[in-house]
Amino acid sequence: MTDGVGAAVAALVRDAQEVYGADPAALAVLSGYDRRLREPLRVAVAGMVKAGKSTLLNAVIGEEIAPTDTGECTRVITWYRHGDTPRVTLHPLDGAPRALPVRRVEGRLQLDLGGTPAEEVDRLVVEWPARALRDLTLIDTPGIASLSREVSARSLGFLTPGDAPSEADALIYLMRHLHASDLGFLESFQDTAAGQSGTVNALAVLSRADEVGAGRIDALLAAREVAARYRNDAGLRRLALGVVPVAGLLAQSARTLRQSEFAALAALARLERGDRERLLLSADRFVREDAPGGVPAGERAVLLERFGLFGVRLACVLLGGGIGEPTALARELARRSGLDDILRALSGQFQARAAQLKARNVLIGVDALVRARPRPGTAALAASIERILAGAHEYRELRLLGVLHTGGVALTPDLAADAERLIGGSGVAPARRLGLRRDAPADQVRTEAVLQLRRWRAVAENPLTDRSALELCQTVIRSCEALLADTAQEPAAPL
Amino acid sequence: MAELVQLVERGIELVHAGDRADLRRRLESTRGRLLDAAIRVIVVGEFKQGKSQLINALVNAPVCPVDDDIATSVPTVVRYGEQPSAVLVVPRDADPAADGGPALERQPVDLADIASYVSEKGNPGNERRLVAAEVSLPRKVLAGGLSLVDSPGVGGLDSAHSLTTLTALPTADAMLLVSDASQEYTEPEIRFLRQALRVSPNIGCVLTKTDLYPQWRRVAELDRVHLDRVRPGIPLIPVSSDLRLHAARLKDNELNAESGFPALVAYLRSNILGSAERLQRRSVAQDLLSITEHLRLSLTSELGALEDPERTPLMIAGLEAAKERADEQRRRSARWQVTLNDGISDLIADMEYDLRDRLRRIQREAEQAIDEGDPGPTWDQFAQWLEQRVASAVSDTFVWTSERSAWLAEQVAEHFQQDEVRLPVLSVSDTQDVLSPVEKVPTLDPGRVGPLQKVLIGMRGSYGGVLMFGLLTGIVGMSLINPFSVGAGLLLGRKAYREDKEARLKRRQGEAKALVRRQIDDVVFQVGKELKDRLRLIQRATRDHFSEIAEEHHRSLGDSVVAAQKAAATYALEREQRMQQIRAELKRVDALHAEARALEGDPAAARP
Repeated sequence: MTDGVGAAVAALVRDAQEVYGADPAALAVLSGYDRRLREPLRVAVAGMVKAGKSTLLNAVIGEEIAPTDTGECTRVITWYRHGDTPRVTLHPLDGAPRALPVRRVEGRLQLDLGGTPAEEVDRLVVEWPARALRDLTLIDTPGIASLSREVSARSLGFLTPGDAPSEADALIYLMRHLHASDLGFLESFQDTAAGQSGTVNALAVLSRADEVGAGRIDALLAAREVAARYRNDAGLRRLALGVVPVAGLLAQSARTLRQSEFAALAALARLERGDRERLLLSADRFVREDAPGGVPAGERAVLLERFGLFGVRLACVLLGGGIGEPTALARELARRSGLDDILRALSGQFQARAAQLKARNVLIGVDALVRARPRPGTAALAASIERILAGAHEYRELRLLGVLHTGGVALTPDLAADAERLIGGSGVAPARRLGLRRDAPADQVRTEAVLQLRRWRAVAENPLTDRSALELCQTVIRSCEALLADTAQEPAAPL
Repeated sequence: MAELVQLVERGIELVHAGDRADLRRRLESTRGRLLDAAIRVIVVGEFKQGKSQLINALVNAPVCPVDDDIATSVPTVVRYGEQPSAVLVVPRDADPAADGGPALERQPVDLADIASYVSEKGNPGNERRLVAAEVSLPRKVLAGGLSLVDSPGVGGLDSAHSLTTLTALPTADAMLLVSDASQEYTEPEIRFLRQALRVSPNIGCVLTKTDLYPQWRRVAELDRVHLDRVRPGIPLIPVSSDLRLHAARLKDNELNAESGFPALVAYLRSNILGSAERLQRRSVAQDLLSITEHLRLSLTSELGALEDPERTPLMIAGLEAAKERADEQRRRSARWQVTLNDGISDLIADMEYDLRDRLRRIQREAEQAIDEGDPGPTWDQFAQWLEQRVASAVSDTFVWTSERSAWLAEQVAEHFQQDEVRLPVLSVSDTQDVLSPVEKVPTLDPGRVGPLQKVLIGMRGSYGGVLMFGLLTGIVGMSLINPFSVGAGLLLGRKAYREDKEARLKRRQGEAKALVRRQIDDVVFQVGKELKDRLRLIQRATRDHFSEIAEEHHRSLGDSVVAAQKAAATYALEREQRMQQIRAELKRVDALHAEARALEGDPAAARP
């Protein structure tokens, strides 16, 4: 059922190319859309300054390629896409793109603009042979609410252009705590990118979660509670698919844990408890020359920079608790950092819907083009745009998800929660929709789908059901039917 | 402080001997000001920067609640007290005008329970409507009149918080802007800093949580650059509250030094307390100087007359001339009074215009918003928005008025051709209770129509259709209820329902606009009255202040003339005695004068 919209939109773009055959400018735009449909999903990482955007990006990619720094660091919009060999290209605002040298210092990429001022750079494109980038293009953006206004303005202009569809198909929004400017930004992103179809395509991330509880060992639990509160915040709920707490630094370093670091951490964990606690009291104490433990001060400084005080504390506790080898430690650290949650959300919410998300932005773009440059044949195009928008069940699901998030449906909370899951609120895989385990057998999925179908038919036929909820019921029924159809087609497929 | 009080008391004694009630009143008010010195330092910053923990670490007691989520919802004042205690300040329920007493009530509570009153958890969104909480602790840091105010964080979803903090600023003597070491200053923080600098110039910045961030030195450097761009010379103090609390628990001096708190305490002592004290010192010195001048004038003229009786008439003539001049100056009072009166009436007009202009802009925005949609469902948010906008506009007007009135006082002072004329102490910018007489925005009918009502509206419309077509088709022999008449009824019913819906929307929009207009009117009325009252008070205070100065001057000269005349008529024997008396008194006056001069000239050397 995912191919439907993608194919229809691809056909639409082809038709449009024929209609605009004599208009090179429009053709260029259209072939851009055509390419975009075939490329991986574009996910932008945005947020306030120093929210940890580049760090999270590194964590998702699994390599430390995006440069990070204590001061404000990312000043140019940088695309990270898959390529067989590392390559960095600079696209200036005017002029031809040119290649930049690929230089790495301690594993990190050095993005030197080669004398071009940041204002004159449209974007940097980094091609990197990383597996995670195969089906995901990540876009790093400069922070909003920055003290250098033009940097923030560049991000805003890129993510929320006034007249065209956004270049990004979906958004990961990082925030440390919910600020008024966060909400304002999310609202405007939704307005431009999805406003016309009224859907939600942003995922909020409570970043630097390890700092919520001032680096205490239970900081991430506290962060989870805070995230839960934000998830129920009426303002945020209608703008984001969910709120996930992530300790970005820990996630990034856990994915790139080195043997020497493991050895150092193990040495620290072997210290006397009192000594260790005194050592871990403050960052300044941790890197002192005369500290005990047999780990040189320089190595400790590296540990601190890579893991943060919280990361070191957590690693020591984990090592003390019986984990004895690097892989297990890395896995546990990554799990605790919340990285798994965000990867799951990425694949469940974004990648599974990649075709629709991409197609929708293209649709909006073609629609704008058709309106701006009418010519013979565009009426038919406009009609098919409307047909796709109205007919695609996936969009109805996305739109209803938006409605459900605003709480504008007259259903009991239980029913509303079930409906949200069934139309793909927590992921579009059949098992997730039905609330089953991921490896549930096919016939269980089918029985459950039938059960849900009956139940929702009953709800829809109930005369006491509010009229406003009927549309939702019908969409849920349609989703259940689609689930049944899918399982019937491929009964042996692993789900 | 104690030695200042002693000096003033000596002055009072001297004045008492000379029997000058006017001078005594002045010194007594000075003494009152000295004894009741409280220096309010407000701790501000965005939420989750460690403001409450900073105060806890400063006084080493968990008086302000700390939480992983947003914690503080009510401003908490921590000040010195012999016994640890806590008080809640709540608005009185009864009509405040009825008994004429203050509208606030103080309820003592247990110190251990204070967290449940002021935290976001125990009191979400300040639903208990507390105005403030006050905690007294016997701590050395707080001695000397320092009181720390913990404020709810600004920049959150609730911009009302930042407004409360901004309106509280004018009442504070100094401000500590708190930001944590995780990152450099953001744009909202610097914006807040600039706004705050206009209201309270005495600002220090604190960088918290340095224990958690290895790169805090880098952040401090970056912040330093940002601060220098705003205004050079704002201090930036990196601290770690957690380390300080640890240090207190372990009694570890080294750790305490690492926490950075000694520097903060020193800053509070020397800069904030110190500068407040310097101000006090200056005003005390000025008071004493002018009073000793007055005393000396009459004493020296009497002494002169006694020592040299022949030249008495000449001296009297000189004094008379001086008195003449003083009278002249008093007459010229007409001129400064004209300046003052004109200035105040200009100020009232300008300020009314300013207030109306601001509020009209809000009204226009509000009406536009109402026209764009149905105001019914969003009325609550809308009313909140309106109240916030109005409050911030009013606070802006007040700050502006305060700046203007200070400027006016300077203008008036220029009419006095003395070297240094004291300026009156004026305060209008405090907007604490200005808006309380204004009623809350009333509720609006949300415009929801129940199913029964919908049916009734439709029926009402369809009734005529059914009847009309039923009768018409009755001519051809059909019954009253037939497919045609029912169809017509359905059509008309739908039309009626739609029209009714539209009419209701229009009505709601109209109602909403009327409510907004009424609210703004109310605000203009109440706030205008309050502002005018305050400006009149200012006018009165300024007038009294300056006429008192003129009066004192006149009286001193008059006294001297009388004393000289009296001296001329005194017998020789008494003369010797009187001369000795006067010399002794003059000596005391001169001694006080010299001390006051020292106080003014070199405040650093005179510090205890």
